[in-house]
Formats: sequence, structure tokens, C-alpha cells
Amino acid sequence: VAPGPVGPGPAQRADRSAPPPERRRPGGEFVTVTETETATETATETETETATVSGSALDEIRALNARVENEPVQAFRRQGRPVVGYACTFTPVELIEAAGALPFRLRALGNPQTDRADARLSRFNCRFCRACLQLGLDGTYDFLHGLIETNGCDQLRGMFENWQYAGALPFFHYLKAPHVITPESLDHFTLELWRLREALEDALGTRIEDDALREAMARQQRIRDRLAEVLRYREQPAPALTGSEALQVALAQGAIGAAGYEALLDRLLSQLAERAVEPGRARLLIGGAASDEPGLLAAMEDLGALVVSDTLCFGTRAFLPQRGVFHALAQEPAGRQEPADPVRALAERYLLGSRCPRMYDAFGDRYDFLREAMSRSDAQGVILVNNKFCDLHGFDNAMLARRLREDGLPVLSLEKDYGSQADQGRLRTRVQAFLEQLGGQQPLEPMGGAA
Amino acid sequence: MTVDVRDGIMNRGLELFGLIDRLRGTPSDAEVEGLLSLLPPDVAANLGALIAPDVREPGLAFLDMLKTWMFRAKEAKAEGKKVILVPFNFPPDLLYAFDSVVPLTTEVLTTVASVALPGGGERYWDYLQSLGLPDHICSANSIEVASVLSGLDFAPDAIISAAPGACDANSKVHELLSHWADIPQLVFELPVDDTPEGRALYTRYFHRLIGQLEALTGETLRDERLREVVQGANRCTELFWDLFELRKQRPCPAPNVFNLFLASLRFCAWSTPEAIRLLEAMVATARARHEAGSYPAPEERARVMWAYTSFYFDLPGLHEWMEKRGYSFLADVLSFYAPQPIDDTDRDSMVEGLVTAAWEYPMNRQMGRSSMSAAWVSDIVYASRELGADCAIHCGHDACKQTWSVVSILGEELLARAGVPLLVLHGDSWMKTTTPITVIQQEMEEFIHNVVLKKKRPRRRVRRSRRRSQPRSGQSQSQSTGHGGAAPAAPPASRGTRGGAAS
Repeated sequence: VAPGPVGPGPAQRADRSAPPPERRRPGGEFVTVTETETATETATETETETATVSGSALDEIRALNARVENEPVQAFRRQGRPVVGYACTFTPVELIEAAGALPFRLRALGNPQTDRADARLSRFNCRFCRACLQLGLDGTYDFLHGLIETNGCDQLRGMFENWQYAGALPFFHYLKAPHVITPESLDHFTLELWRLREALEDALGTRIEDDALREAMARQQRIRDRLAEVLRYREQPAPALTGSEALQVALAQGAIGAAGYEALLDRLLSQLAERAVEPGRARLLIGGAASDEPGLLAAMEDLGALVVSDTLCFGTRAFLPQRGVFHALAQEPAGRQEPADPVRALAERYLLGSRCPRMYDAFGDRYDFLREAMSRSDAQGVILVNNKFCDLHGFDNAMLARRLREDGLPVLSLEKDYGSQADQGRLRTRVQAFLEQLGGQQPLEPMGGAA
Repeated sequence: MTVDVRDGIMNRGLELFGLIDRLRGTPSDAEVEGLLSLLPPDVAANLGALIAPDVREPGLAFLDMLKTWMFRAKEAKAEGKKVILVPFNFPPDLLYAFDSVVPLTTEVLTTVASVALPGGGERYWDYLQSLGLPDHICSANSIEVASVLSGLDFAPDAIISAAPGACDANSKVHELLSHWADIPQLVFELPVDDTPEGRALYTRYFHRLIGQLEALTGETLRDERLREVVQGANRCTELFWDLFELRKQRPCPAPNVFNLFLASLRFCAWSTPEAIRLLEAMVATARARHEAGSYPAPEERARVMWAYTSFYFDLPGLHEWMEKRGYSFLADVLSFYAPQPIDDTDRDSMVEGLVTAAWEYPMNRQMGRSSMSAAWVSDIVYASRELGADCAIHCGHDACKQTWSVVSILGEELLARAGVPLLVLHGDSWMKTTTPITVIQQEMEEFIHNVVLKKKRPRRRVRRSRRRSQPRSGQSQSQSTGHGGAAPAAPPASRGTRGGAAS
């Protein structure tokens, strides 16, 4: 690709290594309120080594998410093993793991820099895609051996096509996911996964054995079970972790090998049993866009909210078990047998349970999923976020908001500009107003010297 | 509080066509002037461009086609037939093969509002905004959707959602309409998979759709009726290619506004007698102009290929303005759909022909392919070469996220493969409130003057002295076309767009 504006070189790139400091609320447990600042550090800081683990699983998770190429990724590469990027929950990471590679979910960590990507995409494209492409073009993602494209949305496709056009990585594969659930589309998705399997084998010079694949599938299921357990700690009446912390936990899944993540979750779960966070002024559920910005949730929680559940792409949508959508095939999960072919089983796992707004004829399931999360977590209100220019969530949030209002439930629709610091004040004001609607005004602290 | 739209597009459009219907036969200039004087200025300007003296015959055929199409839907509703709303990327031919079904096309109705209703489609857009929709959705479909949602207009009995796989915004707005207006939706997905397996899946979906239509209407698709439609479609195809050959001539004998006619007739009336009459009138007009060597300007200065859509809210401001300057509007993606004849031997061959037509439809064959950029580049390079384009323009409809996300690749590849520079504009194709036509004209004028015409002029021979050949301090030695997204004048080597072999 034609060279873009001169940007920071590899040694000057954004430092995402330092763990964010913790603050304590008066009389409460610690909360992280600095993710945004940390994740959006400018390129002027120098790189440092990843923080050593201090014993807190959450500290370790924050450190993992604080930079793109984190320590486990570096360690993986030192062993000469490939890292394969992906962006969408339709990608079966089990296939990548069974090929001996590390699946790494693309994230931009709130990166506000998009100058190089803007020369390829446009300002009418979602800034999350632009921020990811920027990191692809400026070399941050050079550690990837390849990328798996998915048709999650039109703009994601454009991002991948430009990345490929730039020729930055040796391996690209396009995994095409259906937009409807029918017996035919399930068959076709199974075929697509076989194509992915063969493409990975060719690109990585390896063979994916069924046994290895089943082992990877079993491990991912254990991880999903543990994430569901973490969710219970979050949704319980006295939550053990904040919403921003929960998003950190979910984000780490795509940034570390499965074995390490499973062990990390075990440690986390043992620590959560002894933990509680400040209840907050209102229990909220957040839904909507692909957001890898724990800072966004931290900012809401800094105002006194507690985000007790979510339906985010990086959150519960990625790991909660499916139900409801199977009616499209006139079969219920309880009556289904796990297919003998592990690839077929993966196709069912990833297609049938999707709650992504890219799926058609499934809005009712998405609404039910949200309402179930509200019931589980006893959320008082819902904040639906979408990145500017995101058509899928823009429409879906409008539809969800209307249904919620019809059902008499408080909802706030927030359109945000991904990674933009300039947007923070506006968002805080909107959230603050919503909290006051939900729970009354928070008493103002007296100003010093005031009469 | 929601915006009061007062009335819907169908109702208002039918009123207008009732007025136009008073023009019998081929009206004189005085009769046309008299009619236009009764209309608000923006409507009069657009209608005046449609039935200007040099395009009057095809223009009247165009209005007759639209009028028949809309009245047919209204009457069908009264007779208990099913009116089905389809997006522009679905061929209406299949629906015409059902006696009890009448198609309406979302984007064509929006265009009717933009062209022929006072104030265009803005009031419907504002209404949808007042319902909480984002401001970056696509006006092409949301204007008509808002008209239906207002509850004041004609409501379809069902929706075919054919854009999943090709356009998120289109798919979502029809899903929203289905939920909010409680209208059944038949989802017809386009698998973004160019392999034989992907194509086979699309065929299975098409057969499933036929079954769904039969269930909806209680009518079984009859081979005889299907054959009549296919034969009508084949006649349209024949005329399309006759016109395409004429469009290759210099100067281009097809008036610029023909691109609007071509798109509209494909999306709402293909295979019908009205579409055939319109195409025959267009071919006759273009042939006569070619034989007479006539052209609206003293010379044809630039031949322009529009890379996707164009602008529809000010027809004289675009089409006539271009013609007066000698800029020929050769084609856009909506008017260059490369139809193929359908084998009418038996039902299988006819259905297969319709599946192919849908698969190769505008937007489907570019944004619905495994690689959006490769397919789009391939089509625009082919069309530019065939039609002899000097340049291309991407109108930059701001809601069109797919094209915006790969237009940089198009610009580079188009220049590298065909030597055609690309201008990237920004605006809303259906609403005048985003970018005014004067700004669009200015951008086009600068691009054509500074890039296209300079390129066409013979290079001046410059006697070089050693002193002059040194670049000035601080200046780059490289030249840049530097205008609105045009790629560098020196074409870069073509770089691996996936599957991107040019035609």
C-alpha cells in the first residue's frame, strides 16, 4: 500500500504495557477508573516489560489487556509458534488451537489514532475498524502469522480487504458466516469450517487431528463454563466484580492461550469468592456494540453505576450457552446429540447460538437474551451503545430500545465515537442524567468555603 | 415527538401522476410548460428535465411506466392481491410471474419522492430520525420505509429482504419495518461465496422463496405465465444491449438522464410492456441522435463513468449541467447490470435464468462477492474500457459503508489497470440537505478541468535548461493529481486484490 503519513516506529508505538493503577472508592472495594487513560496512551511513552503477576488474577488480566502484543503472545512466538488473528465470534478458535497456533482476537484497546487507516477506509466507516486497521498498518500486529476474515459486518470486510491489500501478512482466509439459520445454511457453514480447517493446515504446514480438535473443544467448553461462573459472581446481589473488570476478564480470552486462560480463570474464581464491590447507585446492563473499552464501563461506574451484566460482543454473547434459536431447525438443544464430526459440532456451536444483530429472523431471540440477563442480574436499566456508523447495532439498538420502553423498562441509547476522548464528557453527562432518572440525584458534596 | 409527514409517498406520487396523466399523446412545448407552471419549483425543474424536448418520448414513457407500476399496486391491493415490497437488489421478474402478486421497490419509491415530490424525501427522513434511528443510515431505503411507518400511506403485505450478504443498512431497515409495522418478511440471503457451492446455496434459497410466495398467495407458479415474463425479460435484455452499443459511440448519443431510466425500469418493471416501450423509445432516441451526430454541447469533452450511484435530488443540476459542459454520463453500477438472455425451454431453465439474474444483480455482483473490492474493480474497469471512460466518479453516498470501505482500492486499481482517474465526492444521493448540487458541480468541474482534460491535451514540449530542471526548494519532484481521492498519476503496480483479474 502507498506509504501513509509518517507515524511512530516500532520502538515508539503506543505503550500498553503498564498495569493501570487502582483507586479505592471511599469505603468501598477498589475499582479501576483509569483503563481509558491507560489504553489510549499516546505514542510518546516508552515500552516497558509487562508487569509481573502480583497474585491478583484481575491484576494479571489487566496487564494482559494493557498492550496488544502481551507477554504470553511474546512467549508463544519465542517458541516459534504462529499467532493467528480473528475478529468475530463466528470464528471457531478451537480449529486454530488444534493447529498448534494461538488464536488472537483483534482489539484496538481504545486506540484513538486512525490516520493511516483513514487513508484506506473513510470517516464514514466505524472507528473501531479504523483503529484496528491502523494497528495493522503501523506494524503493531506484525506478530500475527495470518488473519481470518469474517463477514461480521460490511465495514469489517472492508477493513480486512484493505489489510490484505496492504500485503502485511502472509496468510489470509475468509470465513463466510450465514446470516440466517436454516438446515441449508448450517450445512454450508459446516463446509466453510472444513475450508478453514484445510486453509489452516496449508498455511501452518500442519495437520489438524480430530482428537486434538475435540480436546480443544472440551477446553473451550470448560472456559465457557468458568466464564458463566464469573458472570454469576457479577450478577449476584452483592457483585464480586465491576462491569469494567468483567469486560477485562472477557477480553483476556482472546489474548492468551486457552490453557493459560483456563488456569487464570480458576485463580480468579477462587479469589472472587472472597470479594465484593461497592453496590453503586444503580444496577445497569450494557448492550450493543463490539466494545473492547473497559474504560467506557469504568467511566459509567465512576459515576456510581454498577454494570452488573451485558450483552456485548466481547462479553456474554461470546460465551453463554445457546438456547432459543434452535427452534429455527425445529429441534431443541435438549434433544440434540453432539454430532460425531467435530467440525459439524463446531458449526452448530457457532452458528445456532449467535445473538449478533447481523442475524436475520432472530430479533426476538436477541430481545429475550437481553431480558433474561436483566432478570438474572436484577438490572434496573439498560444502556445500549453503538459506535458511530455501525448500522447493525444502530438499527438493533433502536429496535431493542423501543421494545424495552414498551415493556416499561428504562433504557438509554448512546451512540459513541470509538476511542474518542472528545466524546467522554458528553457520554458522562448522558449517563449521569440516566442514573438520576433511575435513582434520584446524588447529593452534592459541599464546596469548600461555600456559605 | 415525531415529525408529521402529513401523507405518504404512494399517495402523493399517485396524485402527481394523475395530474401528469392529463398530457395525452406527445404534448407540445406549450402544454408541458403549462403543466410545469402548476407545480412547485423543485418538482417542475425535475419533471422538466425528464420530459425536456430532446428526451420527451422516452421521458413520457418513463413516467407512464412509473404511473402504471404505482397504480397497479394500488388496484391490486383493492382486489385483494398481495403487494410485496422488495429492495432494489431483487429482480421483480419473479413476482410478475405470479398473477396475484405485485412488486413495489423500496428505492424506486424513495427516488420518486426525491425527484417528484415537493421538498423531496426529507420529511420522511426527519420522521425516521424522530423515531430514534441513527443519522448514518441509508436514505435510499429509509425514506420509503418511513413513509410506510407513518401509517398514512399504502402498506405492503409482505417484504422480501434480499440484501443480507450485500448491504447491512438495507437488510436492517427492512427488518425494522417488518417488526414495527408487523409485516411478514421473507429473508432471501445472498451467500458471499463465489464458489459453486455458494451459488448452489443461493439457488436453493431461490426455490425456497418461490415456495414461500406460493404459500403466501395460495397461487402456484405456472410455467406459461413464467414463460411470458421470461420472454418479456429477454426482449428487455436485447434492447439493453442495443443501447449499450450506442452508449459506446462518440459523442455518446444516450442522454445522461437515461441512466435513471435504466435503473428504474430494471428495479420495478423489467419484463413488463411498459419497460419494453421505454427501452424502445430510448434506443430510438439514441439511434436518431447518433445518426444525426447531435450532442447537447459543441463537443464531448469528458466521458464519465459513475462508480456506484449518482445523485437523484436535482436532475437538471446533474444531468443537464453535465451535458451542457460536454460531460457524458456513460453509466453507473445501477444502470450497468449486464443482463443475460434466459432460456425459456422449461421451468428449470427459466428459474435458473432468474437465479442468475438475481446473482448478477447490481450491488449483489459487487458488494455481495467474496471480495467486494475485486468484484467492484473488475466491473468498473470493464465498463470503463468498454464505454471509453476518461474518468470515474464515486458519488460517495455517505451511508454506503461497503463502498466507502474499499473505494481507495478501486481508485488505485482503476488507474493502474485502465488509466482512469477516480474522483471521490461526498453527499447523499437522495437528499439535497447533505451536499448541495452546486458544490458537487464545482468539485466535478475542478476534477475534469485539472485532471481529465489536462491528461487528454497533448503534452507541451518544454525546452529545459539545467537551471529550470532543478526542483524548487521544498517541492517534491513527484507530481500529484491530488484531487479528491484520485490516485497518483504514475500508476503503481497492481497489487493482489483477491481474485481480482480484470475482465
